[in-house]
Amino acid sequence: MKFLKFFFLMPLLLFPHAEDMYLIKGGMTFLPDGSFTKKDILVDEGVIVLVEDSIGDVGAENIIDANGKYVTPGLIVFSSLGLLELSSLPETNDTSSNTYNAGFDPSKAYNPFSQAVRLNRAKGVSSTVHVPQASGYFSGLLTYTKINEGYKQKKQGPLGLVTSFGQSYDDSRAANLLFMEDLFNYVRSNKDDNYADMTQFMLGTGNDYKFTSRDLKALLKVLNGEIPLVVEVSRATDILNILKFAESQQIDLVLWGAAEAHMVADEIAKADVPVILDPLDNIPRTFDSLNSTYENAIRLDQAGVKMAFYYAQGAGSHNAYLATQSAGNSVAMGLNYSTAMKSITSNPADIFGLVGVGSLAPGFDADLVIWDNDPLELMTNVDNLLVDGTDQDLSNRYEELTERYMKEKELPNSYRSRE
Amino acid sequence: MIKKLLLPLFTVFLLGCTDQTASIFQDEPGGSITNFEDNIHGTYASTYRPLESENIVIRNATVFDGNGNKFQNFDVHFSNGKIQAIGLRLVTDGAKEIDGTGKYVTPGIIDNHSHMGVYPAPSVRTSSDGNEATNPVTSEVWAEHSVWTQDPQYKLALAGGITTFHVLPGSANLFGGRGVTLKNVSANTVPEMKFPNAPHSLKMACGENPKRVYSSRGPSTRMGNVAGYRNAWIGAENYKEQLERDPSHRDIRNETLAGVLDGEILVHNHCYRADEMATMINIGEEFGYKVSTFHHGVEAYKIADLLADEGICAALWADWWGFKHEAYDMSIANIAIVDQARGGTGCAIVHSDDESGIQRLNQEAAKALAAGRRAGFEISEGRAMTWITKNPAKSLGILDQTGTLDMGKDADVVIWSGNPFSVYTKAEQVYIDGALAFDKATNFMPHTDFDLGVKEWEDK
Repeated sequence: MKFLKFFFLMPLLLFPHAEDMYLIKGGMTFLPDGSFTKKDILVDEGVIVLVEDSIGDVGAENIIDANGKYVTPGLIVFSSLGLLELSSLPETNDTSSNTYNAGFDPSKAYNPFSQAVRLNRAKGVSSTVHVPQASGYFSGLLTYTKINEGYKQKKQGPLGLVTSFGQSYDDSRAANLLFMEDLFNYVRSNKDDNYADMTQFMLGTGNDYKFTSRDLKALLKVLNGEIPLVVEVSRATDILNILKFAESQQIDLVLWGAAEAHMVADEIAKADVPVILDPLDNIPRTFDSLNSTYENAIRLDQAGVKMAFYYAQGAGSHNAYLATQSAGNSVAMGLNYSTAMKSITSNPADIFGLVGVGSLAPGFDADLVIWDNDPLELMTNVDNLLVDGTDQDLSNRYEELTERYMKEKELPNSYRSRE
Repeated sequence: MIKKLLLPLFTVFLLGCTDQTASIFQDEPGGSITNFEDNIHGTYASTYRPLESENIVIRNATVFDGNGNKFQNFDVHFSNGKIQAIGLRLVTDGAKEIDGTGKYVTPGIIDNHSHMGVYPAPSVRTSSDGNEATNPVTSEVWAEHSVWTQDPQYKLALAGGITTFHVLPGSANLFGGRGVTLKNVSANTVPEMKFPNAPHSLKMACGENPKRVYSSRGPSTRMGNVAGYRNAWIGAENYKEQLERDPSHRDIRNETLAGVLDGEILVHNHCYRADEMATMINIGEEFGYKVSTFHHGVEAYKIADLLADEGICAALWADWWGFKHEAYDMSIANIAIVDQARGGTGCAIVHSDDESGIQRLNQEAAKALAAGRRAGFEISEGRAMTWITKNPAKSLGILDQTGTLDMGKDADVVIWSGNPFSVYTKAEQVYIDGALAFDKATNFMPHTDFDLGVKEWEDK
């Protein structure tokens, strides 16, 4: 604390980058303890330096008055933002691969100038976990990317290896489980194998899944405990089987979707496995999810399971920012507000061990949103988004289109002004 | 100028629209020259019988009447299945009192674009009955003949305040077939769910879907789509002439199209792009029919004035976009711009086209309202409530029966825990024709046969 006092006394000497400094004054700030508390936040060189009841004049060039507003960490969403423009046009969609599966990392295709990226920034999203959708036995690797403007984005990862388990048109789920056991055991005992040897293994399985050496390396990361296996799964008994599988393989596990997780919540909690879900998934969409319910998130929370939320309704990835609506509805269903808010900010970071993001505390990256009202409410607007301590441009094509058709209507629209 | 319109003006405009609508959309069936059995009153007529209505007065609530107004400390009285009155300190005899303090009351929410029943849950091949995608023109099929009465999704929508929904065939075809308007009630036969006296509808589709699905046999272009519509309408005209010579002639494909030309069947047109919507309006002029409602209309805001001038409603999403090329030019203020066009005479509707979205149409309206205000419009909550009550009722030709809390209308009523434009608000009670259909506090709701034996965990 003596050090901090010194900060106040010698601001200009200690903070030579006044133009990089932001002082955010008086906002109701979502703190790591889960409360909204009135705080001042000092940001320097992209990092949160202080979160205090009151911070005096430290010479910050950028001062944002957040009185009467809410300040939260930037939203961390799970999406394909920047990987696709129009889902139905494959040539604009880089989320999937036929060449690779386990080793597929779609984030290399990231386009920071995607219109969907700009829209989501305007709605409070500071970063995304990119979700791969390769067509093989594994969907690929999760990676973390900030979605700040410009060419340079900080990334972290790979964070996890994605696969799915459950109903299948091709084979019994029992066979799929056996295959996964055989595959993991084979890779574990043949760590130095190359692609050709792997093909030998596949010959015995009667299916045509391909594995390249890149894919094998991704599997090894799971076996070595570097990253978790992320399993998209719905049925309660399937979840139990996957928990058992992870235990026997001694690998880390994250559950995804998990419509019937509430039926085996205690078992999931006991295994200390986190769940990533959309609390709005209450429709029995398959025979694997007949017990879908709005109460999924509530029951998992009561059992002590750590959760992260995504928004899987409607137009999906392009509207990933609507994770706030999923979280807001979970509160309406009975979830504690701070748990809901953490499920779209700090929990994704905790679950995947992301470094320096997801919380408003000294030392964390200054990724934060200033909202004009309760961030989970439907009619709340984003006033500012900082990513790595830089106030982001929130303009986007959709507000430009709106303006164009509301103003200067007497002109042919092609001749109306552009922003 | 647009921004300054006051609430009472809205109401006047909307009432004006309503009268006009009735004359356009609700021609007497007797005026038709077509010989097929009257669709509304004949063999396939509704056999819906409401549950026994309660006699209830909700006291001291905040009331959205569906006409654009919001009243504080109002009472709502219904009995015998009908709205009796709304007002301050109503005098009633023997009505059961419900304390509405802190609660909100609205008309039953109406979704004019749903595929519940024809794409039921679970989503499996064997009950995927929503689109007869075997020919670009399948105006002969009726969605009501695909509806599965045991779809477990109805009650989820009911918990979101949905009392009426319109089930449409899918959008693979130029003419997808007839839609059907249903009361959100549990029944073992489809006619028992059918909204009494609701006009039939015809689903048409523009753009990418038909030209993609039929690319090998045609149409494979948008101009091919348009040729397909026009050829079909010419066929319908020929059919009508033939019918004059031979009144016993039957052709169920053309009966639907002739029903549109005779003003009995309402056109619900899936169409995203502004230029295509304008073309569809031209086709309507060529053959003498009127589009009731454009659905999805991601670009409706580009022709908002045209839609208002033509008296055509636009049923839209609050924020869906980007899943296909024709959904690229989204405006987050789409619904508001359509609503506010020509001095607030536009007819905007929030629709779902989605079994999840239908559970939260009030939330979708809230997002659209917020976007409109952010764009600079002064739009009241009461006005936004019309997007999910009065306007969809108008679009479906049932505004004389539901959609507002006007005296004498069906007592389709929702009591909300708070402001329905808040994410934290839940529907607490839903009444359909004055009968309790859903009660959150007691977990009272219909359970389809499919639900039985599933929820073992509830008792664990």
